[in-house]
Amino acid sequence: MADRNQPLNELHARTRRHFFAECGVGLGSIALASLLNDEAQAAIEPLVLQDPLAPRRPHFAPKAKRVIFLFMAGGPSQLELFDYKPKLQELSGQVVPPEFTKNKRFAFIKGDAKLLGTTRKFARHGQCGAELSDLLPGLASVADDVCIVKSMVTDVFNHGPAKVFLNTGSSRFGMPSMGAWLTYGIGSESRDLPGFVVLQSGPRGPRGGNPLWGSGFLPTAYQGVPFLSGPEPILNLSNPPGVDRTRQAEFLNTVQQLNSERLAAVGDPEISTRISAYEMAYRMQTSAPELIDISGESAATLAMYGAEPGKPSFANNCLLARRLVERGVRFVQLYHTDWDHHGNHDTHLGEPLDARCKETDGPAAALIKDLKARGLLDDTLVVWGGEFGRTPMGEPRDLIGRDHHVDGYTMWLAGGGIKGGQSIGATDELGYYVVEDRVHVHDLQATMLHLLGLDHLKLTYQFQGRQFRLTDVGGNLVTKMIA
Amino acid sequence: MPISPRILGLFVSLSLALMGIEIHADESAVDFDLNVKPILAAHCFDCHGEDAQESGLRLDRTDTRALGGNSGAAILPGKSADSPLLIAIRGGNERVPKMPPDGPMLSAKEIDLLVRWIDAGAVAPADAEQLASRQSDHWSFQPLSAVSPPQVSNSEYVRNPIDAFVLARLEAEGLTPATEADRATLIRRVTLDLTGLPPAVEEVDAYLNDPREDAYEIVVDRLLASPHYGERWGRQWLDVARYADSNGYTIDGARSIWKYRDWVIEAFNRDLPFDQFAIEQLAGDLLPGATIAQKIATGFHRNTMVNEEGGTDKEQFRVEAVVDRVSTTGVAFMGLTLGCARCHDHKFDPISQREFYQIFAVFNGADEPTLPVPTQQQSKELPAIDAEIKQSLERLAMVDANIGTRQAEWEAAYSAKSEQDRAAFKFAPEVTAALAIPAGQRSTEQLDLIRGVYQKIDPERIPLAESIESLKRQQEQVKKSITTTLVMRERKEPRETFVHVRGDFLQPGAPVKPGVPAVLPPLTARGVQTDRLDFARWLVDDEHPLTARVTVNRIWQTYFGQGLVATENDFGLQGEAPSHPELLDWLARTLMTAGWSQKALHRLIVTSGVYRQSSHARPELAGADPYNKLLARQVRLRLEAEAIRDSALGASGLLSRELGGPGVYPPQPEGIYRFTQQVKFWGTAKDSDRYRRGLYTYLWRSSPYPFLKTFDVPDAVVACTRRPRSNTPLQALTLANDLAFVEIAQGYASNLLAQPTLGDRARAEQAFRQALARKPNEHELIRLLEYLELQRAHFAASPKAAAQVAQRDSGAPNAAEVAAWTMVARVLLNLDEFITRE
Repeated sequence: MADRNQPLNELHARTRRHFFAECGVGLGSIALASLLNDEAQAAIEPLVLQDPLAPRRPHFAPKAKRVIFLFMAGGPSQLELFDYKPKLQELSGQVVPPEFTKNKRFAFIKGDAKLLGTTRKFARHGQCGAELSDLLPGLASVADDVCIVKSMVTDVFNHGPAKVFLNTGSSRFGMPSMGAWLTYGIGSESRDLPGFVVLQSGPRGPRGGNPLWGSGFLPTAYQGVPFLSGPEPILNLSNPPGVDRTRQAEFLNTVQQLNSERLAAVGDPEISTRISAYEMAYRMQTSAPELIDISGESAATLAMYGAEPGKPSFANNCLLARRLVERGVRFVQLYHTDWDHHGNHDTHLGEPLDARCKETDGPAAALIKDLKARGLLDDTLVVWGGEFGRTPMGEPRDLIGRDHHVDGYTMWLAGGGIKGGQSIGATDELGYYVVEDRVHVHDLQATMLHLLGLDHLKLTYQFQGRQFRLTDVGGNLVTKMIA
Repeated sequence: MPISPRILGLFVSLSLALMGIEIHADESAVDFDLNVKPILAAHCFDCHGEDAQESGLRLDRTDTRALGGNSGAAILPGKSADSPLLIAIRGGNERVPKMPPDGPMLSAKEIDLLVRWIDAGAVAPADAEQLASRQSDHWSFQPLSAVSPPQVSNSEYVRNPIDAFVLARLEAEGLTPATEADRATLIRRVTLDLTGLPPAVEEVDAYLNDPREDAYEIVVDRLLASPHYGERWGRQWLDVARYADSNGYTIDGARSIWKYRDWVIEAFNRDLPFDQFAIEQLAGDLLPGATIAQKIATGFHRNTMVNEEGGTDKEQFRVEAVVDRVSTTGVAFMGLTLGCARCHDHKFDPISQREFYQIFAVFNGADEPTLPVPTQQQSKELPAIDAEIKQSLERLAMVDANIGTRQAEWEAAYSAKSEQDRAAFKFAPEVTAALAIPAGQRSTEQLDLIRGVYQKIDPERIPLAESIESLKRQQEQVKKSITTTLVMRERKEPRETFVHVRGDFLQPGAPVKPGVPAVLPPLTARGVQTDRLDFARWLVDDEHPLTARVTVNRIWQTYFGQGLVATENDFGLQGEAPSHPELLDWLARTLMTAGWSQKALHRLIVTSGVYRQSSHARPELAGADPYNKLLARQVRLRLEAEAIRDSALGASGLLSRELGGPGVYPPQPEGIYRFTQQVKFWGTAKDSDRYRRGLYTYLWRSSPYPFLKTFDVPDAVVACTRRPRSNTPLQALTLANDLAFVEIAQGYASNLLAQPTLGDRARAEQAFRQALARKPNEHELIRLLEYLELQRAHFAASPKAAAQVAQRDSGAPNAAEVAAWTMVARVLLNLDEFITRE
């Protein structure tokens, strides 16, 4: 990289984060020029340089331009939804063969756990014949657009660290999240909205909080902005009480004029960054409320999603996700909570699972249909999944449930360069270990970056003596996924 | 006379034979030098010899061979079949990889020789020389050089030796330093830098009008003596200490450790020498006669996170915390990325994985208790209550001594009562039944039952028993009200520590003892085994090449935006070389010779000519020195998150100057906890706690106070040695619209209007100077006045809006005026210059 950008050698030699800090985000963008070829670099206009979120060309031609990540927090049960195992049905109630659990650690269950078959009915759908349970009629209706990965593997079996792992490639808290890496790499196409937006639904906040969408050691300009439900999606978006739009404009003008005079006096480019930040903030004050107001959507669209204006839900968030990517936002992450079905009163594989599926399945399918109808699906990558799956063994609790499982679970992807209408990978006959086309979390991340035109080995950042990347020290492209 | 190895070998074989251990058929002795060494040299030394020690294994020396590798011993004398070395060369198994990994396998004859050698006790001659401690020619591992300030041509510029070092370099490049900043800029700069607060207008005027030669130095001394100095610089150390008021991870429950925060502030204010500062935090509990304060100081390494999630492995997260202690110690004191050696030898620096776990062992010997820290009053109160309880119990015993007589009298009276009167007692049936039986004929249970009943109605006993109960409640209450804090305490029996193979604590490898990396000066322990106190003292020993350098560099970075070593957290081979190596060493030595006084160092830096330069851009230097490494000017730095809040409070006059105490809850926007797993407590302050300095704001790791978070406050997950300074639209929204900030603007306006004699012009000028110290130029003043007129006209015509903006003064007759000035204050608080140290 350095060879291509001779003048940047000095820059690479030092911690780039500090260069940002020092010289302002404006020049910081130059550090990112290592992602660009010489031509593109020469073409950058000085004004564009001021914005850390200005769109940048990726390493190679991308298949996807943006991402919608439907994060099912808690760990949905692949065995109730995607991965049907006749053998598991047959052996249901028997103690799991010891070779499966030897030297394994679980969050709650012990070695003598009993296998648990599912009560859900499975059938094949679409031309591709995807096998899905009756909990997912929505997904069944778009089966030919979706690539189901039944061979996901992760490293961590507690919720917080596992969520952080799927988002940042490390189970350590405080690393940059996927959305941060992506906006750091290629910026955002929206000038009026943050480049990385987080939406939340379900009974409670996702475990992990801030670090799930944090920017870690990357500049904070790249951290995810959680949108709040309600009329004010971004903190401090509204004018203070008693200050109307005209007053806000007068205020802004005065601030900008005084800042410009200071810029002229001291010549610090950081002031011009500040001036453009105030301009964008002002635009956001209009664009964000307009964005979240879904009342102008057609009745048919609202019905398809199951969205109701003014009533926060996963359905509303899916519709908002479409509106966000329409406006050029790079990475939209939706969290829907309470998939942690251990078998307690509120968390078992009966009604609570029914409810989670009802809340999410239709809207997710509607999102795919809607994106497709608008010609957005081709370059919008949609990802569905949680931090891990659930064990083939049941838990000895009041009601039926399963423990956390890291050795084989399911996610699905669609759009944005994904080859739809296929299932990848397989687990063994009990649904325990992956036996075919293992996809580690780092492999998924590498593939996602690849679809966005980024080489996961080259998207790096020097911090604490090491070149860090999203995929840590792993990551292989899953070429089967790619169209 | 030393016994020759060969003879020793014979003895060993003989004794093994006597012990009944099977010896290989071929009895001819295997000689190490003759038969074994050539085999190892041919197949193993490339990766396990002098130049490389893969997996920590070095086979060319007898001492290191005996030590084994990171996974443990490679050779088990007498047990060739179990020796990992033999397993490896025979093709490996699930735990031991095949060796050599790529090269040709050993011949059967070679293997046979190794088998016999090992079974015969693996005897080899002692090493000819002691293993030299590891050398490195990397600059930061070298001793501090003894340097004197260089000669410069423009000696008039030199205010102190710092200037000579910087100027010499500039002169060598043919450059000149910038002119000195004007006095208003200077006093604002140094007041913000030393206290994190803006100067009061009176302080600015006093300095502007002070004709004395040392007017500036007088200001500096005043600021260094201010208790706000400890808050400002203490907060920086709290970044390094990853201080927060909650446990982190997903549940992120509350914790009480603010006593440690206050200890830090106080340590800065009394200028606790940095060496002592380090020792008390790392090992205060081990100091002879450790005071409560010294124990509180060990909270430094209790700022690690705690995972409270269900189903987690406690040991796993305890190990994580110890790893964090090692990493934090490395970064904070030595500028070393020790964490990189957790899973394998450091890729760049001379730190082996085994050495990582030696330091791990230093911190692995501690327990993690909670220490009650009673106030003076509580300390007096508790023994007093204890004494009272004791007295009352004694009296009770006396009363109980003759309870039998009283009971008998009562029973007599009871039995004399009519049935109806007896029923009034509402005794349980079994009591009534027992009472009906004459005392002499009752069973033991019945006797106890009635004694119990009588105790409750005995008129002599009741008041005593009640007073004891109430004393006990009081005691509980006092105990509960005692503040606690998290500390370290050395265990009686240290834990065993092993190398964690590939960083996995479930795979213990070779056992290790506490120790320090060989590339650094040796450590002398007080006792048999190195403990935290030995380690802490070693860290701040005069011979240690890193601690003083790292410390002065981090302080320097605060004043100039970047350190003399730009990679302040990495002084290793991947870090950047110092821009002014001699100045760095001179400052480090000066720190030590000045008894590690941080205040002395601050004074030295801020009174230098280099510090006092103007920060205006110098376009002519853009080519020669684009990153201002040569320091031909000062830099403009956006204030830290807390300093922005504190400056606003300071400028408005609302600031509460109260020091220390539990975390506070200033107003924050609604809906913050929609995104955390659990809703956090936030009892918004109604009193002056609304206006406390930012560092006292309760810090939940999973959801830091949004105002501070927006301005890059660290989330306290790992040590932060330098905050980023971002510049984002969310910051603009926060400064413009955050209700807490608007409230400050309103207070600003009310305070301005409290000086009734001022005209608009003078008041605008006053407002401007409260925010920025300098006087506005004519242009700026006119803009502000025009803006004021515009707002005044609007709010006069819109009393409802005026009342909303005037907030607490909404009912005042001049609400429109308050509103208009609130808008002016809001402009000032949003200026780039306001949130910037010029």
